[in-house]
Amino acid sequence: MLKVTGLESGYGTMQVLWGVDVEVEKGTITTILGPNGAGKTTLLKSIMGIVSPWKGKVEFNGEDVTYLPPHRKVEKGMTLVLEGRHLFPYMSVEENLRLGAYTKRAEEKIEESLELVYQLFPVLEERAKQKVGTMSGGEQQMVAIARAIMASPEIVLMDEPSQGLAPKIVAEVFDTILKLKEEGLTILLVEQNVYASLEISDYGYVLHEGMVALKGTVDEIIESEEVRKAYVGV
Amino acid sequence: MRGVHTLLIIYAILLIVGLTVPGMWQPVAFLMFYVALGQAFNIFLGLTGYVDFGYVAFLALGSYGMAIAMDSLYQTGLGAAILPIGLLLAALMSIMLSLAVGAVALRLRGAYFAIATIGVNEGFRYLIEGARLWGGSEGIIITGAMRKIFGREMANFISTMVADVLVFGIGLLAALTTYVIIHKRMGYALMAIREDEDAARVMGINVTKYKIMAFITSAFFAGLIGASAWTLKMTYVFPSDVFLITYTVEAIVIVMLGGAGTLLGPVVGGITYGLLKYYLSVILPGFQLLILAPLLVAIVVAFPEGIVGYLKERVRGTRFEGYIL
Repeated sequence: MLKVTGLESGYGTMQVLWGVDVEVEKGTITTILGPNGAGKTTLLKSIMGIVSPWKGKVEFNGEDVTYLPPHRKVEKGMTLVLEGRHLFPYMSVEENLRLGAYTKRAEEKIEESLELVYQLFPVLEERAKQKVGTMSGGEQQMVAIARAIMASPEIVLMDEPSQGLAPKIVAEVFDTILKLKEEGLTILLVEQNVYASLEISDYGYVLHEGMVALKGTVDEIIESEEVRKAYVGV
Repeated sequence: MRGVHTLLIIYAILLIVGLTVPGMWQPVAFLMFYVALGQAFNIFLGLTGYVDFGYVAFLALGSYGMAIAMDSLYQTGLGAAILPIGLLLAALMSIMLSLAVGAVALRLRGAYFAIATIGVNEGFRYLIEGARLWGGSEGIIITGAMRKIFGREMANFISTMVADVLVFGIGLLAALTTYVIIHKRMGYALMAIREDEDAARVMGINVTKYKIMAFITSAFFAGLIGASAWTLKMTYVFPSDVFLITYTVEAIVIVMLGGAGTLLGPVVGGITYGLLKYYLSVILPGFQLLILAPLLVAIVVAFPEGIVGYLKERVRGTRFEGYIL
């Protein structure tokens, strides 16, 4: 569904990605692991077009979308849950969600999407009128994910959804990501929380200094010596 | 629609006071300039959250547009048609500048945008003066041209009355435009951009397009205001007068004071600012700025969301909700 080949990108003159190949199959959860500064966020932003790719190719459903601006990619069915949530704190949950269905493609299905989102996150329906800024970190992360779903995407890129959350809440967040997969969505996840993310994933990549150091099924990743030492720590 | 009603009522009161109370037309026109300036600027600053420190350049170019039209066409025998041509040229010149500035500066965010735009204003002024463009530092004087086009009586009437009515109309048009934008797709997009531009992008909003649209619309009205409130009223244009950064600062104050992004904000802000400035200079001549500045600071501290922004929060859930927008 999503195929990234030889992607190079960076900021100004500083190159961050040095030819990254990633492939995401429809209906799976793929996790990208790696230490700080490996280029995980840059990879997601370059795929989405928020950071312009320098070289390489991004294909979505067989179509070359490398240099499309982000809003066009959203129209095509891609979306990104930004690191740090980026919600509208002074608006209510429902206002945040409805704004999430901005594109024509999403607007047509707005009531359907809202129903799906409330079914996935019943707590958001209870809190529909509450201002997002007054909610807990975990609930806000739910809103962020829910808002992305409102764009009616086929693939959701997620940048560290567990960041800054208590371990118990982290588990909840990963449970909901698994539920999204069951709804037929494809997920590309970037995480520092190695264990929890691999538990729900089908495939994994390990990014190191802007290059893919390792890739494979989750079992292969977990069993590999290097990962155990470097990232899992067992 | 109730928000528009409140707006129209305030405008009607201003107009009635100006027309019926003897000697009040000029003070009302003075207020109306600030209201219109605020309305035009609000479309950009209020709706996008970007601060343009070179905003007065759009008014300046508008005033040049009108002056150039009058100065170069008065012998053609086009007569009164020169006035609409002048307005058109004013709007066109401001729009062209906004396109040029927007294409470059709107790629920048926040403070970087603000700093980049300071240069536009100063740069343009020195370009006109240094390159002796459009009369250079001597400006364009159209007193004679206006008399030849309209006759002495009519030319006087245009300066003392028509110019003010035009400013009034432009301010109202800008406000109605704001209302339409707020309730359209574009308004939602701008709201998202103002609150969080990164979020807006991943939601599928073409942020560049909407920022430039707001910028052009705002510049369009600024150009018309410059053409009417300055050129038609004063019958001359000097670069040292029309590129004054003071006007940009006043526009920012008015929008923030009234409530950025609200429909009524610029009206309330413009009237409050205008009244304070006018009466402080009458009551305490020479000290008005000394008093005005701390007073404005106090108001902004008390109402960080602006006066209208504060009222809007207060009436939420009451039967007045909707009247304040």
